[in-house]
Amino acid sequence: MIRTTDDVIIKTVSRIFTPFIQIFALYVIMHGHYSPGGGFQGGVILGAGFILLVITQGLDETRRRFSQKLDTIFCSIGLLVYSGIGMLCLIIGGNYLDYSKLSKILPVLAAKARSLGILGVEIGVGIGVMAVMYSIFSDIVTGGE
Amino acid sequence: MQQFFLIVGTGLCFLVLLCLYRGVFGPTVLNRLAGISAIGTKTLVILLLMGFIYGRVDMFVDISMVYSILNFIGTLAVAKYLETKGEV
Repeated sequence: MIRTTDDVIIKTVSRIFTPFIQIFALYVIMHGHYSPGGGFQGGVILGAGFILLVITQGLDETRRRFSQKLDTIFCSIGLLVYSGIGMLCLIIGGNYLDYSKLSKILPVLAAKARSLGILGVEIGVGIGVMAVMYSIFSDIVTGGE
Repeated sequence: MQQFFLIVGTGLCFLVLLCLYRGVFGPTVLNRLAGISAIGTKTLVILLLMGFIYGRVDMFVDISMVYSILNFIGTLAVAKYLETKGEV
């Protein structure tokens, strides 16, 4: 079990630093098709922000803000977004994750629909990876209780 | 200008080797931690120099920023582990 740190420098720096990490993770997720990155990488950075909070502020404080129940819900939402978009393409009449078929229900061209579909899948993967990383880390910290 | 970046990058690679010596043969665990942290900082600068050499520094800024964030969190995690185990 991780206790809270006594050092005021580490606590303050990490508290100021965490929002910037999360904004940078969102940038990596949203900008993933123009630059290095994408859903998985952005999710890992987002989870690293939570791991930094657990290390410096203690597990109890972090669980008060972001509980385990909420973590499970986020994990399920991420998987649901990913497989939901894939199954939606399957239902409309294409292959699994065939984004260009999304232009039948969205008022855009096929190329734009493909870009939007990739963005949606990346958001789903990012949410799922963030939740799973936080859950694995808190399992390791508490010894699987 | 690319020649200059190449020379600076090679010099930094030599400095990484010196830090690696401290990381492998360090007398105590804190020496190893400081050596590995210094390697991370030098790797960040080497990545940016590679970006200048290839002419795509906008891509390499993202990579080096992620590297610095993970280096910071990793150093803190190892320090926390040593504090919890009471080895220092």
